[in-house]
Amino acid sequence: MKFVKLLGASLLVSTMLAAGAANAKTLVYCSEGSPENFTPAMNTTGTSLDAARPVYNKLVQFDPGTTTVKPALAESYEISADGMTITFHLRKGVKFHSGVNGFTPTRDLTAEDVIWSFNRQWKPDHPYAKVSGGAYDYFNDMGMPDSLVSIEKGADDLTVVMKLKEPNAPIMANLAMDFATIHSAEYADYLLKKGTPEQFDQMPVGTGSFSFVDYQKDAVIRYKAFEGWAGKPKVDDLVYAITPDPTARYAKMKANECQVMIAPNPADLEAMGKDADINLMSQAGLNIGYLSMNVTKPPFDKVEVRQAIAMAIDRDAILKEVYQGAGQKAKNPIPPTIWSYDDATVDWEYNPEKAKELLKKNGVETLETDLWWMPVQRPYNPNAKRMAEMMQADLAKVGLNAKLVSYEWGEYRKRLQAGEHQLGLLGWTGDNGDPDNFFFLAGCDKDGKPAGQNLSKWCDATFNADMMKARALTNQDERAAIYKEMQKIHHDQLPWLNIAHSTVFEPVRKEVSGYKISPLGAHEFQDVDIKE
Amino acid sequence: MATDTAIVTRPAAPPGPLLSFWRSFRENRSAVLGLAVVIFIILVALLAPVLAPHDPLEQFKGATKLPPFWLDGSDPRFWLGTDAVGRDMLSRLMYGARISLFIGLSVMSVSMVVGITLGLAAAWFSGIIDVIIIRIMDLIMAIPSLVLAILIIAMIGPSLTNTIIAVTIVYLPRYVRLVRASALAELTKDYVTAAKVAGVRPFRLMASTVLPNCLAPLIVQSALGVSDAILEAAGLGFLGLGAQPPTPEWGAMLADTRDLMQSHPWVMAFPGLAILMTVLAINLMGDGLRDALDPRLKRS
Repeated sequence: MKFVKLLGASLLVSTMLAAGAANAKTLVYCSEGSPENFTPAMNTTGTSLDAARPVYNKLVQFDPGTTTVKPALAESYEISADGMTITFHLRKGVKFHSGVNGFTPTRDLTAEDVIWSFNRQWKPDHPYAKVSGGAYDYFNDMGMPDSLVSIEKGADDLTVVMKLKEPNAPIMANLAMDFATIHSAEYADYLLKKGTPEQFDQMPVGTGSFSFVDYQKDAVIRYKAFEGWAGKPKVDDLVYAITPDPTARYAKMKANECQVMIAPNPADLEAMGKDADINLMSQAGLNIGYLSMNVTKPPFDKVEVRQAIAMAIDRDAILKEVYQGAGQKAKNPIPPTIWSYDDATVDWEYNPEKAKELLKKNGVETLETDLWWMPVQRPYNPNAKRMAEMMQADLAKVGLNAKLVSYEWGEYRKRLQAGEHQLGLLGWTGDNGDPDNFFFLAGCDKDGKPAGQNLSKWCDATFNADMMKARALTNQDERAAIYKEMQKIHHDQLPWLNIAHSTVFEPVRKEVSGYKISPLGAHEFQDVDIKE
Repeated sequence: MATDTAIVTRPAAPPGPLLSFWRSFRENRSAVLGLAVVIFIILVALLAPVLAPHDPLEQFKGATKLPPFWLDGSDPRFWLGTDAVGRDMLSRLMYGARISLFIGLSVMSVSMVVGITLGLAAAWFSGIIDVIIIRIMDLIMAIPSLVLAILIIAMIGPSLTNTIIAVTIVYLPRYVRLVRASALAELTKDYVTAAKVAGVRPFRLMASTVLPNCLAPLIVQSALGVSDAILEAAGLGFLGLGAQPPTPEWGAMLADTRDLMQSHPWVMAFPGLAILMTVLAINLMGDGLRDALDPRLKRS
């Protein structure tokens, strides 16, 4: 008798559990690739940054769908009159995720966590500095080591004081970027004691709206809702279904296997627009797709040769066939939605005859060169191979015989950054809406060494001096004047050929509400809800 | 008078070897059809520069993704339409036939020459040389063919020549084992012993006494090998490891237009059909060859 009752009770409980599970709201996002790890400071690809974002917060964050900086973990902050001291007041009672990788936090967020997160990227003697490869590209490329004097605890546990060498106008926007993510110092200690510090970058613990559950490479990443300082998110479970093929993503979307997807195939846009179940959102992207011309490889060291290439390539045709018209031909290295955009720039015209003459003048009649294309679809370039094939045909008309080269995506970027290419396709999606965030791609450090992301290895003294000068100014009009000057230099010197600013499309299911396209290419799900 | 009787009484001369082969071959209808298609493809490939309406590499701006002639919106200049960057599909298919057949035939001839040499060497020397050769061939066969081909390409870099090298290595064991097995069987026969007794040198013995008697299965194998090589090369091309753009290779053409599968299906359909037709025709022809050449399958 008793046994039967027990059985009945357990049956009842299990059905209730099942019903509960059925009612849980799950949002599935079809992402495009596997993250390298979950520590944003070590990554430069949107894929990896997207995967870490649900878990973490920064001191200040971008308001979803905009480039406006708003307080996050820091409730408020003050910048001193000389612009060289920033005081952050941290929010009280910010909880870290509990139960991930057997870790239970014993305390809330304090200044220690903030200092730990920055020191890892800054101080080579930090216990985690060398863990998981220890390359902090963003921190270095944003000029943080050059501008920081100290990051220290202020008057109490919830105050952080950051001292700078000189006023830095874009610093608040920079600190809203993913590399400035705040980690848990306690979790780091816990793993260090366990002897597995590399798990820190594989099983993330943060303060974000979703806590990490598990990750299977090339398949799925799971998160569950976490009620933290920002409140409970509207969905209970968040799943990243890793689906590299855009056609497959669309098929899953149609079958309601995912509700939000990244980077649709341009050829499918028309059908998506007509689909009654899908809401096709679009926004002018904060991005630039470009063709880097490596100035360390002759004959591309000659500016006239680079200009000839600019005139030999029919970018209008590329815009039509590769972007399917969903973009804008680029004449400046920054997109027109950013302040300081110089509309007066006169773009290079398509003129193969003139290009041929110019090449001949510089002793180039026929030339074997290479042309690199990335193997993945990016927001700024939906089909690099097709673009490369079109460029190859255009270059052949002026006597340049380009061999197409490609590598696996991670390897591709590494080799481009090492400057192995002659001509290479890449692009950039802005991280913070500041023009500096685009110009640094063509910048060099103080010693005249090209920055890691400067693929063309182009160092122009005036351009660099201008960039440094603009960083130190706080008046936007004065900065804009300098940036216009820099756009002129970039146009004449052509370290890279601007191709297009693309329109970003993101299809979401009709059931989804509250989703906003980020101009920064981020995918955020904190405020997203889904109808049953 | 005498001459008349002679004509009447002499039995009909047995048909020549070629004629008798043709007689048994043509009994297989599908094989004849296969042969016809293969001849057609060979002719197209040879005459591509004359037949093709356009340069296969020329990109017609403003004429991209045009449909074939029987659909609305087609352009009379491009019978089978154009691809994603405006290249004429028909011309690319014709030049693609050249590349595919070239790959197929070169893989077949190289692996046949190398295969015969190694196979005969293994059969004649036996002992340690035989063991070494056969074990290496077993090693190659133990790895799935496409995986091994990808591995080789990864080491030597993607290009048309390297595709041929990779596919040749992958298909070598079939020829070696076939030649070795038939040669071992032949070596025990009386006529070989007779030749040996007569003092024929080993090289001549293997090349002109043993080899001709192993040829029938080898011819069948090589015909089928051509189609396998074409398929394998198209697979490598599809993965981006074969001929590099802008070469009009069928497999690569298929891969490049994958994103148009739903919106412009015909761009992807034609190279796929070309691969299917070629491989099917060669296989049908190969089947017919086997039926005609193998005495055990010959109808009496």
